[in-house]
Amino acid sequence: MDSLLPSLMLGAALFGLGVVGFLVRRNLIVIFLSTEVMFQGVIVTAAAFARYYAHVEGQAYALLLLVIAAVEAGLALGLVMLLYRRRDTLDAEAWSTMRG
Amino acid sequence: MTAAAPYPIYAAFALGAFALYFLAPRAQRRRAVTTAGWLAAIAAGSVALFASQQAGPHTGILFYCFAVVALLAAVRVITHPRPVYSAVYFVVVVLAVAAILITYEAEFLAVALVIIYAGAILVTYLFVIMLAQQPGAPVYDRRAREPFLAVIAGFLLTGLVAGQVTAQRSGLPPPSKPEARTASTRLPPNPTASGNTAAIGVALMTRYPVALEIGGVLLLISMVGAVALSRKRIPIEGVPPPAPTLGQIGKEVEPF
Repeated sequence: MDSLLPSLMLGAALFGLGVVGFLVRRNLIVIFLSTEVMFQGVIVTAAAFARYYAHVEGQAYALLLLVIAAVEAGLALGLVMLLYRRRDTLDAEAWSTMRG
Repeated sequence: MTAAAPYPIYAAFALGAFALYFLAPRAQRRRAVTTAGWLAAIAAGSVALFASQQAGPHTGILFYCFAVVALLAAVRVITHPRPVYSAVYFVVVVLAVAAILITYEAEFLAVALVIIYAGAILVTYLFVIMLAQQPGAPVYDRRAREPFLAVIAGFLLTGLVAGQVTAQRSGLPPPSKPEARTASTRLPPNPTASGNTAAIGVALMTRYPVALEIGGVLLLISMVGAVALSRKRIPIEGVPPPAPTLGQIGKEVEPF
C-alpha cells in the first residue's frame, strides 16, 4: 500500500497555489482558473483516500467534483463575459466600487 | 509508527510562499529575482514531497515526477502575465494530475478529467480569453494585487493543514482490509483485469443516486443560467430597434 502522505501534500500544495492565485491575480479569467487549480488539489486528495482505503467512495466524490467544476466554469465565464461587456476590461479592480 | 514532526513541512511551505512572492507578476521584473524564485519553488516542492515520505513506504517514482510537473505548472498558471499561457499551463496541470490518478488505479477518473477539463472546460476558457483579448499586456496582468498578504494567507492555510496532517498521521485510521467492505463499494481486487469503472458506476447508481440527480439538475441550472447571462440584444446598425408591442412590455426586460 502506498503512503498516503505525499498525495495529501500534493493536494494541499495545489490547493494553496490556487488560493494564492485567486488572491493575487487581477484578471477575472485567471482568478477562475485559480479556482480550477484548487479543484485539482481536492481531486488528488479524494483519489488518494480512495486508493488508501481501497474504497470507491473517494472516486465517486471526485467525479461529482468534476460536475461542480463544469457548472462553475459555465456560470463563471458567462459572468465574466457580462462584466467585460459592461466595463470593457477584465480587471477585478474595476468593480471595487462594489466594496462599499 | 511515530508521528513525524511537522517542522520540515512548515519549512517547505514557508519556502514555497517565499518563492511565490518573488514569482508574482510585478512591474519591473529582474531576472535574478525570478531565477531565485524558481529555485526556491523547486526546493520547496521537493522538500515537501520527500519530507512527507519519511512516515511511510516508498511511493512510486512516477508519482514524484508528475507531482513536480503539476506543481511547477500550477505555479506558472498563477504567475504567467498572459492569460492564454495560464490556460495552457493549466492543461499541463490537468494532464499531470490525470497521470497521478492512473498511478492510483483511478483510470476512469483520469480519462474523465482529461475529457472534461482539457477537452471542454479549457476550450471554454480559451474562447473567453480570445473574446476578451486586450491589445498588448494590460497593467492588471502585469502587476499582482497584494502578493505579500496573499502568500502569507496561502502559507498559513496550507502549511497549517499539511503540518497537522503530518503530525496526526498516526491518528489516521489504517488502510482497511478489502474484505471488510461490502461488495458494492469495494474496489476490485485486481483493477487491471476489468478496471474500476463498473465499481464507480454501481456506487453512483446504488449508494449516491441523490447526488447524481443533484449533479444533473445543477448542470441544467447552469446551462439555463449561462444562456440567460449571455443573452443580449445587439441592435442592427442603421435599423432602429422595433418598438415593443404592448404585450411584451414587462415580459422582456433587457438583461442590463
